[in-house]
Order: sequence, then C-alpha cells, then structure tokens
Amino acid sequence: MAENVLVPQAIPLAPDEYNVVSDHIGELAFINDDGDDLPNFFRRVDSQEIVYQPRRRKAKLVGKYLFGDVLGEGSYGKVKEALDTETLQRRAVKIVKKRTLRKIPNGELNVQREIQLLKRLRHKHVIKLVDFIYNEEKQKKYMVMEYCVGELQELLESTPEKKFPIFQAHCYFSQLIDGLEYLHSHGVVHKDIKPGNLLLSREEILKITDLGVAEAIDWFDSGDECHTSQGSPAFQPPEIANGQEMFTGFKVDVWSSGVTLYNMATALYPFEGDNIYKLFENIGKGKYTIPDSVDDKLRSLLEGMLQYKAEDRLTIQQIKHHDWVRRKHPTTPGKVKFKSLGDDGDTLRSLSIIPYLEDLHCSDQSDEEYDDEQIFSEPHYNNSSKNNKAVVSEPSTDVKQKKKKHKGGLLSSCKQS
Amino acid sequence: MPLFGKSPKTPHELVKSVKESLNALVKCTAGEKKTDKASEDFHKNLGALKFYLCGGEDDKEPHSEQVVALSQELNKTGLVISLIQNLSRIDFEGKKDVVCIFNNLLRRHIGTRTPNVEYIVTKQDVLFDLIKGYENPDIALICGQMLRECCRYEALAKIMLYSPEFYRFFDYVEVSTFDIASDAFSTFKELLTKHKALSAAFLESNYERVFGSYQRLLNSDNYVTRRQALKLLGELLLDRHNFMTMTRYISSPDNLKLMMNMLREKSRNIQFEAFHVFKVFVANPNKPKPILDILLRNKEKLVDFLTKFHTERSDDEQFNDEKAYLIKQIKELKSADEAS
Repeated sequence: MAENVLVPQAIPLAPDEYNVVSDHIGELAFINDDGDDLPNFFRRVDSQEIVYQPRRRKAKLVGKYLFGDVLGEGSYGKVKEALDTETLQRRAVKIVKKRTLRKIPNGELNVQREIQLLKRLRHKHVIKLVDFIYNEEKQKKYMVMEYCVGELQELLESTPEKKFPIFQAHCYFSQLIDGLEYLHSHGVVHKDIKPGNLLLSREEILKITDLGVAEAIDWFDSGDECHTSQGSPAFQPPEIANGQEMFTGFKVDVWSSGVTLYNMATALYPFEGDNIYKLFENIGKGKYTIPDSVDDKLRSLLEGMLQYKAEDRLTIQQIKHHDWVRRKHPTTPGKVKFKSLGDDGDTLRSLSIIPYLEDLHCSDQSDEEYDDEQIFSEPHYNNSSKNNKAVVSEPSTDVKQKKKKHKGGLLSSCKQS
Repeated sequence: MPLFGKSPKTPHELVKSVKESLNALVKCTAGEKKTDKASEDFHKNLGALKFYLCGGEDDKEPHSEQVVALSQELNKTGLVISLIQNLSRIDFEGKKDVVCIFNNLLRRHIGTRTPNVEYIVTKQDVLFDLIKGYENPDIALICGQMLRECCRYEALAKIMLYSPEFYRFFDYVEVSTFDIASDAFSTFKELLTKHKALSAAFLESNYERVFGSYQRLLNSDNYVTRRQALKLLGELLLDRHNFMTMTRYISSPDNLKLMMNMLREKSRNIQFEAFHVFKVFVANPNKPKPILDILLRNKEKLVDFLTKFHTERSDDEQFNDEKAYLIKQIKELKSADEAS
C-alpha cells in the first residue's frame, strides 16, 4: 500500500506550489462532459514516480495566445495572463465558461452585450477587446484584452489606510472622467463604476472595464432614460435605491464616480448598511457626511456629484471644469504602488509567461512525466473529429502536439497553421 | 545647471541673452559672415533656456521658483512670441527646443490657474501665426506640435475654432505634401473633438459655414483627404454631444445623395466609411419627407445593393447586424400617405 497511492492524496504540496494540480481542479467539470475520461482520472501512480519539483508550468495555447499565470478571478471566471505568440504582445484573457454563466442571472446576455459594446469602443481609458475566441467544444469564451497590472480596488486594499494620497486619487479620477465622457459620447451608460472595475496599465493609465451591465442608448434618443440597473449596491444613486422605474443614465455614472472618489480619498463609503435593504434605505434617504479631513474644493466636488436629485447633480462637463479637477495637486509621499502577487517580491509584476514558453519550446521531460501530463491535461479533443466545429482549431496544446511542434523548430512552432 | 564653469545666469539674464542674440540673428541677412556667429550664439542661448525650463534628459523637475521667475520674464518680454515669429530662421534642433519651451510653459499650473495659457489668450495672434505656419513647409510640423498642445486647453481651442483662421484648415488638410496634410488633419480633428461641449456648440452655431466647407473635403480629389474626412464625419455625427448637428445633417437630402454616391465609390474603404454615415439616415425614426422619398424611390435597388455590399466581412458581426437592420428598415419603408 505504501507503494501505490492515489494521486490526489499523493501530493501534499500547497495548491500554488504545484500549479498543474491546482489548475486542474478548476477543470474537473469536464468529467460530466465525457464519461469516458472518468476512470482515467483516479490512476494509480507509483510513489517513486512522484517527485517533488519546483512548480512546472504546462504550456497551453489557445489560438495564437500562450497562457501564463492566473491574474485574477471574478464571478464570471478566471483572468489569465497571455502572450500573443505572433506579435509578442502581453495580453489578459478573460475566460468565461458557459456553465458558470448559466448560474448567473443574465450571465450570457451580459457577456454578449459586453463584447458587442467593447468591439465598437476605442479609447485610451476604456479597456480594449483585442480578440475574441469562442470554443464551442469546451463551451468557453476567451476575451483577449489589453494587459493591465491590476484593479484600483486591489491597490486600495493593499494599503493599511485603504485610501490614496490626494494627488493619486486625483490622477485616477480625472482619467475616469475622461473615459466616462467618451463612453457617454457614444451613448453608453456604464452603470457599474467602482474601484473594482477600474484597471491600471503598466504606464498607470486607467482603463474602465466590465461593461457587463452597461447599456447603449439609441442614437436617436435625445434623452438618456434607463430602466434597469444591476450595478454594485453601495455605488447606486438614490433613484435606483428607491426603485424608480426610470432614471437618467448618465447621472448614475456621475453618482457612482462620486462614490468612487469619496472612497479613494477617505477609505469610507458615503452610505453603508448591514444588508442591501438597510443600505438602499440609507441611500434612499440621501443623508451622508464628508469627513472633516476633506478640503473645501474636494468637498464641493463630492457634494456636487452626490446630489440627491439627478438633475441637480454635476454633469461630466461641470466636473471637468471643477476647480479640484483642474488643480494640479502636489505630489506627496506615500504613493500607493502594486504589491507583488506571490511572495517573490516582484512588485513590477513581470511577465509570467517565460516558464510556459520554456515548456512549450524546450520541454525535455521524460516519458513518465508525459504520462502525468496526460492525466492532468484536458480531455483529448485534438484526437476527435468533432473538434472541427470549434472556431479555434486547437483548444489546448497537449503533449502530442507539443512534441510535434518541438520538432518543427522554435520559430515554426510560434505559428498556428 | 552646468556642472562647472561660470555661475548660472539668472532668469532675467538668460531671457535677455536669448532675446538679444535673436535680434542679432534677425538683423543679419543670409550669406553674411557674421550670420554664422549670430546663429551659433543664439542657438547656444536657446539651448540653455530650454535646459533651464524643461530640465535635462533625466526627467528631473527643474527648480520651481526659478522656473516661475523665468516664465514671468518670458511673458514680460514677449520672447516666446518673437521666437515663433522667427521660427523659420531657427535651425532644426532649435525648432525642437522652441516646441519644448512653448509646450512646457503652457502646461505650468499655479493652483487651478494656467498662467501661460491665460497669457496666450491675451496674445491671440500667436495662435494664428502658428496656424499659418502650415503654409511654410519648413515649420509646418513644428507649428503643428505646438498647435496640438494649444488644443488641449479649452480657452485656446475656443479662440481657434471661432476665428476665421480655422477655415484655413480646410485648405491645409488638402495640400499635396502628405505629412503636412495629415498633421494639419490631426490638429483639425483635435479641435473638433477634444472639448466635446465646446465643439458641439461651435458646430451648431456655425453649421452652414463648417459643413459647407466640409463638403469640399468629401469631394476632394485627394483620396486620403476624402477618406479621413468621411471617417471624421461619421465620428462627429455619432457623438451624442453633437446630437443637434446630427439631426440637422441627416435631414438634408443632398447629404443623403452624397453618401449614396460614396457607397458606390471605387475604393472599398470609402464605401465602408460611407456606410457608417448612410446608416444614420436610414436608422432615423423621424425621417423628413425628402429623405424618405429618396429612400423609397431607391428602395429595391438599395435592398439589392446592400445585400451584396461587402459580403466578405463575414467575421464583422456588428457590421453584419447593422447591414441586416438597414435592409429590414428599407424593406419596411412606407411613404407618408401609405402610412396614414
């Protein structure tokens, strides 16, 4: 018995130590797809074969994109770092599984809408959808987007004070307003502005993301009436908290940006509540206070953006002309920077693709390890003829392919035939 | 600051030396022996001024008090203006220094104020000098760089938009030198799109003159001009800030005819851009009678044409959706009498 153990028990490493395993657990769902793979999964492995080694990265290609480490996880699925093997550009790929989507109210609709909207938007401060791949076989959508380092929310939470120095908040806020102006000029109401939906690129350019609940207003509608909102509760304006049937869309974004600024500058929320009902009750009353530490200019801006009545709220134009926005704020010490993701002290968050690249091109593992990979890799679609239906010809590069590629030489393997 | 040598000049001295050497250079006529000397003097001084204001290569912020003093001194003596007026006498590196000095000055903030922008507002002629710079190939691109910096400030953009000089752009974007024409076009576009509320108000109040001139660009013999102008037109019309302008534009049967003709242009790119303007006419739920009449008269032909239009763009979902929508709309068109 000591010689033969089941795989899952045989690896006492922490999940992040052994990437292949942890990666795989997320993929377990395939078992239900294809019963044939089930017996294959619990395979007996000789304990001598189990070698403790630094985590090995399995190369995975989708289309021309080579996947790297996981950047983050949202309700819709994982976001992984990726490398465009043709242009060598760094990308982020949002992987959306249809299965997960079905469990979320309006899930599929929201993703579809987001893709449609993103396709026609092009602005410095709005996340760019570079490519879109749908794999019918795996029921997965891959949204390839420009690479960003992280969310504002994450940056906020990484500090003990949970807020930014004023100059930093100002820097992000003015970019947010620029991005919003663009969205609004294209008739798009975002409806879910919050630090969690604002990304930062390597150059600290803010990118508005997650247009899942956004709404595009008809060209010929001179107004901007909206009827539905699914945004995050703490950032919703009174008209939504009170359940009004109709409200002006653009002013919703103004309010949420106001809450965002309030949060970035004070670490607090103007409205809180133990549960969503309490919260909406408080927002509905519209009573809030601004801490004394906030200076007069910022106070007047926040008050302007958090006006109870939508029609009294500042417009984007007025915000742009507000003294606090136009002001140049002196750089003070204590600028919040991104922390490293792991414990390797890599605060610059450098490319995580290199080990995968090595695996893709220079893999010289022994055969038994290939066997290991066979267990952990996804079902072997590559061998099946039904794969032809998929938009992308290769859902995942498994061992056989990899070997083939390897023979073809480094350069040729970068290209998808 | 220089590492060794003489003690650094005060802002006053520095500005004075640049000014004097510029005057000396201006007085010289080309070919004279002393011209070389004067030119060398001037460029050395100019370089020092740039270094003082913009710092060296290492991105270090220059000393702020001295910079404030320097920028006040510059405005007092009007040196920046004379630099721009004599731009063509300055050598290649020197021109870049002038751009750097000018742009850097504009960006200076004191609280919510931008003193040097305010200064330019009082000296509007500089802006017009810069615009006219497009007529001189030696300085056109240099002026373009400074103009685009000016565009960033609403006050300056407003002066340029509402000035008669703005209409010069309609000529500049068509000149035969490609880089000048495209530089002029990007400045032109910046003016019309950067400050949404400002340009929306401008387009509304100057609709006839602007779109009268714009028509020329759309009919230009120059392919690049025609294509860029068409693309910008689409962007302007579909920007919600320009809602009033859009409704006015799509009420004119002449504009519709122009777009329908452009749909049949030889260049597929122009056809495609024209489609994005044409769709607005069709999608309009309140089509005026003349527009409706044209569409009705061409109903069958249009449906047929659109069905075959750019069929190879099968992977462009949005385009196909829009095309299908337009075809449906046109098929369902009814004349006003039928409808009632």
